[in-house]
Amino acid sequence: MRTPRIDAMTLRRPIMAASVLGLALGVPQVGHAATPPTALVMAWNIDAISTWDPAQIGEVVTNELVQNTCDALVDFDPSDPTKVQPLFATSWDVSEDRKQITFHLQEGATFPSGNEATAEDVAWSMHRVVKLGFGNAATLTEYGFTEDNVEDMIQAVDDTTLVMKLDKPYPTDLILQAVAANRVAAVLDSEEIMANEEDGDLGNKYLTTRTECIGPYRLVRWNAGEGIMLEANEDYYGEAPALSRVVIRHVAEPGTQRLLLTQGDVDVARDLTPEDLADLEQSPDITIAKALKPQLFYWNMNNAYEPLSNPKVRLALRYLIDYQGLGETVMRYSGAPRASFVQIGAFGALDEKAGQPFGVDLEKAKQLLTEAGYADGFEMSVLFGTLPYSAPIAQSVQQNASKVGIKLNLERMANAQLFSRVRGREFQSTMQSWQTSVPDAHGMASRQIYNPDNSAEAKLTQYPSWRASWYSEEANAKVDAALMEPDTAKREQMYHDLQEEMLQDGPQGFMFQIYDVAGVRNELKGWAWNGFRVYYENTSK
Amino acid sequence: MGRTALRTLVSVAATLFGLAALTFLIGRLLPLDPVTAILGDNASQEAYDAMYRQLGLDQPILVQFGMYLRDLVTFDFGMALTTGRPVLSDIARVFPATLELATVAIVMGTSLGIPLGVLAAMYRNTVIDHTVRIVGLLGYSAPNFWLGLMGLVLFYATLEWVGGPGRIDFVYEWDIEPGTGFLLLDSAVQGKWEAFGNVFSHIILPASILAFGALAYISRMTRSFMIEQLGQEYVIAARVKGLSWARTVWIHAFRNIAVQVLTVVALAYAFLLEGAVLTETVFAWPGFGRYLTNALLVGDMNAVVGCTLLVGVIFVSLNLICDVLYRVFDPRTR
Repeated sequence: MRTPRIDAMTLRRPIMAASVLGLALGVPQVGHAATPPTALVMAWNIDAISTWDPAQIGEVVTNELVQNTCDALVDFDPSDPTKVQPLFATSWDVSEDRKQITFHLQEGATFPSGNEATAEDVAWSMHRVVKLGFGNAATLTEYGFTEDNVEDMIQAVDDTTLVMKLDKPYPTDLILQAVAANRVAAVLDSEEIMANEEDGDLGNKYLTTRTECIGPYRLVRWNAGEGIMLEANEDYYGEAPALSRVVIRHVAEPGTQRLLLTQGDVDVARDLTPEDLADLEQSPDITIAKALKPQLFYWNMNNAYEPLSNPKVRLALRYLIDYQGLGETVMRYSGAPRASFVQIGAFGALDEKAGQPFGVDLEKAKQLLTEAGYADGFEMSVLFGTLPYSAPIAQSVQQNASKVGIKLNLERMANAQLFSRVRGREFQSTMQSWQTSVPDAHGMASRQIYNPDNSAEAKLTQYPSWRASWYSEEANAKVDAALMEPDTAKREQMYHDLQEEMLQDGPQGFMFQIYDVAGVRNELKGWAWNGFRVYYENTSK
Repeated sequence: MGRTALRTLVSVAATLFGLAALTFLIGRLLPLDPVTAILGDNASQEAYDAMYRQLGLDQPILVQFGMYLRDLVTFDFGMALTTGRPVLSDIARVFPATLELATVAIVMGTSLGIPLGVLAAMYRNTVIDHTVRIVGLLGYSAPNFWLGLMGLVLFYATLEWVGGPGRIDFVYEWDIEPGTGFLLLDSAVQGKWEAFGNVFSHIILPASILAFGALAYISRMTRSFMIEQLGQEYVIAARVKGLSWARTVWIHAFRNIAVQVLTVVALAYAFLLEGAVLTETVFAWPGFGRYLTNALLVGDMNAVVGCTLLVGVIFVSLNLICDVLYRVFDPRTR
């Protein structure tokens, strides 16, 4: 076939079609709008939200949003989370024997439904947490509240007085911190919720997609996987926030978040990578905000696996972790080296230096292994989930381990799979994180060290110590004693001693305390946060 | 004709059943624990056991399969663990976003891809053909993820020609009343032209990137169909009769490949609908692809099953439509 000649007719039609589309593509659009002056706009990965029921939520994202929409009895001081300040409770008295706290509540506060918020609502809200028995119930059950006694122990005396009785003289600060942090004292509209109860679920299903409470903001829109809008609550009893809206857009990709932030389409980006943060740090328009969370990334060692039952082996493994090197590279923006089981910022925590005495020391590790009877090393699997820094940390440790004869087999998996394996004690070791809910050494000690019953049947899956099959009668006694010590200075010293001891022969290898990091545009003022809360109501423009 | 229709119906039903069975099996074989996915790793054992029973996981596998089929027949895909809402309503919410994006992309890809493919066939081994081939190669091989980010950096961040990630700017976000879920349509119907412009500026870049891939596929297939036609005797006959080259190709030869091209377009469309996962992630596009990916990552099997079945239905229906069109337009296949 001959090659045809190109004539004008032949080309006209397709060219016309192409140019129409080309025009559509090429027409410059009006520059994008900056964020509204009355709104706080955030890009954040909010995939994890699955419910708004304060009794059930455990995810970081929902936690933060609920704290800004549902006031609890008390709140943390933004600048020092170990201090508790009034919120729905304006003040409180503690009985001499420390076994009763009487809360005096706000008067005349009303829910969006128009119902008045009373002490009865607070009591009901706390009862329902215990009765529903989700993860958050532990906050109350570990201080002696049970399904049977909770209605007697937490009672409304009148509309504005709530009495909380305790079975033991626990440190008052600890109790206040616990109810401030864990949403267990979020004040819910009992009447409205009970009107929508299904099959005795205390409104759990109803609260899957909405909130029924009082806070500086209220949830007006939630499109799962898309965005959230909060609006300032006009009837709020407290001070009205400066910004009338909080808009959160679900953006999963960190690179996209960065673009939105640098272009000024969002005021805050919450999931930036270390590379992005390093670049953004140079920008004059953006500030990198950091806050240490009460969360530790740790090498979870299953003591039921023969080599790990030996404290010398566990200690040897700590000498394989390159705290300094990883801290300056992989974890530069993500975490601070921390080998103690108590997080920095908590009451009773060892200081930064004393809390992290390790460095890579292969000879020392080898010597410890020899003493433990593992001169030729051993083989062990390390499971980890989707945390972005798990893999590089695991690989770094794997490399060092190979030099002392330990063969680490790394296995990455989905979080739901990892959690299931760990809860079932089906692992040799994992790298994962654990977050406590109180700025007090007891928060970590009560779970990472204390183990009420090590038997498989006990299924104490909420205790990392149980998951790791680690049990020490002596350590249990020390955790108990420190909790009940009335003398604050003495109590602090007891936690210091326990940490020193655990650094040497504790059950786990603690590695890093995790930072919350955000890129914040300078137009936004007053971004305030600590490891326990973000205070949207303090922001302005 | 009646028998053919029945046969088709049976085969469609069998395909869907097979798909449902396979999805169920995969859901059960995957080492993902739906209970931890719902309750998190910190829930008490009592809460865990209660949820385990509530999900029917304590039942024998056959009973579970039976319950699953019963629910499917009534279009009950269960609740999505990640959103706490029925899977069907989740899909109804995210699908329009994908449908809108894919439709714009397929319109662009088709209206450029077909002419380019025909031109490449007409001017085989010339500069035009080579150019089309290079464009096609790029469309095939450049990852959408990368193209998306580069596109954003160039057109959004540097030139500021287009809107950024997301379907619409925050300021307009709550202005459009929820309607069909197609923001272009909704904003136009409500007469909110500023918002319409904003939606358009957001969709044009991701749609172009998806269109690029579709264009590569469509133009390549069109080219090869056309080359085959141009070798046929009737083309030579038409030329001998004095018909212009352009008319021969665009009217006569093109008519003969139209049905084949349509199949290609339908397939390309189905792939786009299935979820341009990475593109949706880069552009923070709240669509079906991203919903499915997230469901997979967290082990939300109800959502995964629902989405997989929907994708199956899309493919089966598009195939069915093509089949029917073949019969209508091409007498040889009857």
